Amino acid sequence: MKTPLLFILAAAAVVLASQAPAPAVLAGEIQGLRAFDSPGDGGESVTLEWEGGPSTLVSIMRSESSGGPFEEVGTTIGTDGAYEDYVEEGRPYYYRLSYRIGDQDYVTAPVGPVAARSNWFRSYRLNALVLAVLMFSLVIYYINAAKRGKDLYIRRISGISAIDEAVGRATEMGKKIIYIPGIMSISDIQTIASLSILSHVAKQTAVYGADIEVPNKDPLTFTAARETVKQAYMEAGRPDQFREDMVTYITYDQFAYAAAVSGKMVRERPATNFLIGYFFAESLILAETGQSTGAIQIAGTAAPTQLPFFVTTCDYTLMGEELYAASAYLSKEPILLGSIKAQDIAKALIIVTILVGIVAYFFGSTVIRNLLASR
Amino acid sequence: MRRTIPLVITFLIGLYPIFAFFVPHGSISGANDWLDSALVIVAAFALPLGTVNVVMTNTTKLKRKSRGWQYSIVLLAGLTVMAFYGLVGGTGVHPSFQWMFVNMVSPLQATMFALLSFYVASAAYRAFRARNVEATILLIAAIIVMMGRIPFGDMMTRGMMTPLSEWIMSIPNAAAQRGIIIGAALGAASMSIRIILGIETTYLGTGKD
Amino acid sequence: MNARKLLYVDRRVIYLLVAIGALVPIIRPIGLPTVPTKPVQQLFNKIESLGPDDTVIISFDYGPSSEPELNPMAQSILRHCFQRRVKVLVMALFPLGGVNMAIDQLQAVADEFDDINYGVDFVNLGYKDGAQAAMKRMDISIESLFPADVNGDPTKDMPIMAHARNYDDIAVVISLATGIIGEYWVNLVNAQFGVPVAVGCTAVSAPKYYAYLRAGQMMSLLGGLKGGSEYEKLLVDKYEFARELYEQPEIKITSAMAGMDVQSIVHVIIIVFIIFGNTMYFIMKRQEKAR
Repeated sequence: MKTPLLFILAAAAVVLASQAPAPAVLAGEIQGLRAFDSPGDGGESVTLEWEGGPSTLVSIMRSESSGGPFEEVGTTIGTDGAYEDYVEEGRPYYYRLSYRIGDQDYVTAPVGPVAARSNWFRSYRLNALVLAVLMFSLVIYYINAAKRGKDLYIRRISGISAIDEAVGRATEMGKKIIYIPGIMSISDIQTIASLSILSHVAKQTAVYGADIEVPNKDPLTFTAARETVKQAYMEAGRPDQFREDMVTYITYDQFAYAAAVSGKMVRERPATNFLIGYFFAESLILAETGQSTGAIQIAGTAAPTQLPFFVTTCDYTLMGEELYAASAYLSKEPILLGSIKAQDIAKALIIVTILVGIVAYFFGSTVIRNLLASR
Repeated sequence: MRRTIPLVITFLIGLYPIFAFFVPHGSISGANDWLDSALVIVAAFALPLGTVNVVMTNTTKLKRKSRGWQYSIVLLAGLTVMAFYGLVGGTGVHPSFQWMFVNMVSPLQATMFALLSFYVASAAYRAFRARNVEATILLIAAIIVMMGRIPFGDMMTRGMMTPLSEWIMSIPNAAAQRGIIIGAALGAASMSIRIILGIETTYLGTGKD
Repeated sequence: MNARKLLYVDRRVIYLLVAIGALVPIIRPIGLPTVPTKPVQQLFNKIESLGPDDTVIISFDYGPSSEPELNPMAQSILRHCFQRRVKVLVMALFPLGGVNMAIDQLQAVADEFDDINYGVDFVNLGYKDGAQAAMKRMDISIESLFPADVNGDPTKDMPIMAHARNYDDIAVVISLATGIIGEYWVNLVNAQFGVPVAVGCTAVSAPKYYAYLRAGQMMSLLGGLKGGSEYEKLLVDKYEFARELYEQPEIKITSAMAGMDVQSIVHVIIIVFIIFGNTMYFIMKRQEKAR
């Protein structure tokens, strides 16, 4: 008899207990603290997350054993709900949070052990990976299409067409051409694009017998430019006409360089100035001086702030992507043109994505925006 | 071989930072950091090459008494004196070097930068002509922005110029800048892919053009 | 009247008038009023919200050529931080004179405050090469990037470094920049590590930063002398000490507010020339049509 009675009493107690109100959660009390290896990093940090939390400072306490001693490694506002702690890779840690609500101090139960590990993929960069793969695929597809003989239309870029004309003018006038490859190092893609155009210009000067000078601000660009010009003269079949002083080094200082080249322009009055590459504030000093000497000027840059100055003072300006397209355009090689076609398709895709994103956002959806968020 | 080896190196070194951008693992990022440092070291080695070129070009100019040879004397003297005190100072800064920097290099640089105001004035005078509708819109926008940058504008229009100028800068200007940046970034990506894949070699001076 | 001749006026006439327009307000200041704009106000409000427990980075990413434009904003921001007792990490990532700018400006401003201590409230970490690589490194540890300060003293013993372990401890990065380094702070440090970034730049490079400002990648933009003068104005309006300070002749003459007099006159000269050029252009067209 006793056993069923006890069973009934116990069952009743359970039912009553389950019906009893759960212990109230204090406003600002921290719940569900968890610690885990930060995803997608190089094993530098551990992430802590929690629910609730006071609107005041919370101390992040860390220890190498669950029993302590815990020491404060940082603070954050409790309502942030997360903290990233930078730690030694592979070492296990325990965490707890200490905070105050009113006059009362609180400490959470410790969590752990957790260790930071090196990860193999930055998951938050998946969107960038997809775009990179797409861009590579488009370039390879259109290069293959060009190889198969598909006719690819590329619009005429007047600045590029004017290059040969400008070299011819200098030849007729018997005056020098100054080619300025920007002021950045060879590690900048605009400098490489500029050297590609320099190669074409140097071949033209070699063929026509015009004089060219390439003053440099960056030492690495200087050595590369010299090789480019030398090779261009060899390929044009005029290695004897190449002189070492065609490509010179001036100085590493931006404005001293601008002063030296401006002085050269005023004294030697070149027929043509090329200002192609990455420029900063010296762009206007160089271009306006060149304009005042009556030289024909062809500029090219992807630096948006310098474009207005070049447009105002130069006869032709290669803007943004035109600079990168120039070498392909000049070479007329189908495989190079294929990559420009791919670039145009990518641009069209971006425009469509932006438009879809705007429409979606207008209707309250942030899906596209979140997909494109970068870190 | 002279052409293949640089292209193979370009392919491997060009692809590695892209790989490291997506893979945070210590074994990968360590080598990427090393590549960053290598660039600085290579640049440091290239600097003496540049200096030697400056000295050679200007001494030749002096010897031949070429046009403007007097400037070469100033240049070589400046180079020698600054380099001397720079080296004497070791890792610190020699007082004479600091004196020359503060009293000569600094004002000369500020002067060159200040020249921009003169050049901007003359370039703006030539460029802003109401030749057609587009040029007129550009002209009006330029005047609003210039007036919005100075107190006169607000004084004359009861504070309307600053917000109008800020609007032009942050809406139409920013939109146009973004367009150029997106186009240029795609161009740079396309060019980089061409270089990495060894399709674009004209910068090496070995193109078939 | 030969409109063509007047239209193609010798550029030296323009240069001369610009030179006069720049010189006169320096000799005889006008004191034109300044109205702060929202992008500048945002940085001011941010520093206002900080206190002794917060740390900011001020990176001197400019050289002597931009000194007249960027020094005033460097000084007013430093003054504001020191007044609020915000901890300041000063560094330079610009190779050509950035560290000299940092030394000069810190010396000029820190001496104005009695209870500001080196190594406790501020530190000059000096120059570090490889801008982007250096920025990435600071996400892991600032001290490992700067084991010694500009004087060669170890930073690990400095109390301020306990408040600046990595970007997690940094309330805002303020880059006073010429060239590309300001963009690196925005593209790399804000985009990848989520640190709020404000850029103070020369007026000529301000337009490119508006795209980042609009995209929320920058929390504030101070463009050239105008940006600097607006910050000074906010400081002067809020703090009595600043009002007295900017009345002192040696500080007043180099302030951005005084510089705005010059900029205003030169802008007016340019606008007058543009109007004159267009008038001559239309007269010339009419004369040619009449012929």
